[in-house]
Amino acid sequence: MKPGTALKWLIFLLAIPAAAVLGLTVLRDVKWVVWTVAAAVLSAVPFVLTLEKRRHPLTKLILIAAMIALAVGGRVLFYALPGFKPVTAMVILAALYFGPEAGYLTGSFAALISNFYFGQGPWTPFQMAAWGLIGFAAGLLAKYLKKNLVLLALYGAVVGVLYSLVLNFEHTVATIGTFSRDEYVAVTVASLGFTAVYAVSNVIFLLVLCKPVGKILERVTVKYGLNEPPEAG
Amino acid sequence: METLHPIVSFSYYIAAIALTVLIRNPAVTLGALAGGLCHWAFLTTAKEKRADVGFWLPLALLVTLFNPVFSHNGKTPLFFLNGNAFTFEATVFGAYSAVLVIAVLVWSKAYSRVVTSDKFLYLFGGALPKSALILSVALRYIPMLRKDAARLKDAGKTVGLYSKGSLTDNFLSSCRVYYALIGRTLENAVGTAESMRARGWGRAKRVPYSYYRFKKRDALVAAFSAVLLAVTLAASVSGALSFSFYPGLTAPPLSPLAAAAYGAFALYSLVPLILQTEVRLRWRSLQSKL
Repeated sequence: MKPGTALKWLIFLLAIPAAAVLGLTVLRDVKWVVWTVAAAVLSAVPFVLTLEKRRHPLTKLILIAAMIALAVGGRVLFYALPGFKPVTAMVILAALYFGPEAGYLTGSFAALISNFYFGQGPWTPFQMAAWGLIGFAAGLLAKYLKKNLVLLALYGAVVGVLYSLVLNFEHTVATIGTFSRDEYVAVTVASLGFTAVYAVSNVIFLLVLCKPVGKILERVTVKYGLNEPPEAG
Repeated sequence: METLHPIVSFSYYIAAIALTVLIRNPAVTLGALAGGLCHWAFLTTAKEKRADVGFWLPLALLVTLFNPVFSHNGKTPLFFLNGNAFTFEATVFGAYSAVLVIAVLVWSKAYSRVVTSDKFLYLFGGALPKSALILSVALRYIPMLRKDAARLKDAGKTVGLYSKGSLTDNFLSSCRVYYALIGRTLENAVGTAESMRARGWGRAKRVPYSYYRFKKRDALVAAFSAVLLAVTLAASVSGALSFSFYPGLTAPPLSPLAAAAYGAFALYSLVPLILQTEVRLRWRSLQSKL
């Protein structure tokens, strides 16, 4: 990815939350709901547009689809361990080897597809945005995360907590219709257990999966020349 | 609802959920819950109903109690907990939140049942062909992965995985199976891509297959719902439905406009029931009376 595109995306990503916050201070009451949903949905726009407009190697698109399926389908393998889901780790790994854009797509589509099985709801756009951005940021930081295992584990823990914070936000706004700091803090405290499980399971999955899965992804990337210039598509 | 054109059913559910969340009025929220439950009743089996209720009731109780414990707004204290007021208004608001949360869950469930992934792809595949490609390939891979995972697991057992019975062993064995699954699936994906390219993928504009037709019934349902929505929205925007819990509960809005909106929204949330009844009546009238 060129630095120019990265900048464009960052503006998008910063502009949307900024617009949301601005809207919130001007409009009040139910406008919270409108703005937060709009922000979550809008954050997908730049990614989907680049995906549709740019030319991509078909192999890469199908590999992203396979990573999404593996992230979602992997849950059945680990059903014996409640709360332990390899989804975030797989999204991060896809981002490290296939790039930030692929990371976003893997994350957000994994959320969408997993909800086709576990139930869609107002939380869908938030999960899509959260997982997508986790993948996007991991792709941007790929250079450092690939080299340093401690940093990777730390990233897993931090995004586990952030993911939980974003979804608490959704829960607060959906339950009381507006944002209240007290309610948000209360929800966050009540869900600390889940947050801890997210963070710990992310770290464990990343540490266990990163070497062997990284090897597979690396091999596929090199073998099929994924980072070479794209062809028709 | 299932036989409606995807664009009608998709918009219907999104609007229902949006209005339920947006209009903060107890009558509207209760209407949404009641209509949603009528819909849910004929979408689910008895076993699913028991499971849903078993999940919703404790959740409702939790949400109801959660609010007064953490929020001390309101002017009527019922009692004091660690020096903080446990107020009547906060409890009522908690109960209201619980109704809202359950209503949203009920409607989301109905949405998930009716707007299946193929309908979703039909709606968005035309405008966003590449996203639709990724989604549909991923959706196709998941059942395949499940079968592969089961097979790999069986093979793994023969070489001593999953033999110790401890959680760590289970986790590490699952990881071993997972690596095999990942390697296999990614190679498979490359094969899929090669074969798609060989068949000329991307040579011409893609036409999604679909058998959905926009029928007269779809137009009728859409128009009827749109009118009801317009009435509800008009009342809400004009402020006729505003209701507040703090500091004290306000009198319920009962102006003619508010009453019209209650009626319209109740009718809106009963559309699935109306359609279901219509289909049943038609079925009965079509049966031979001989």
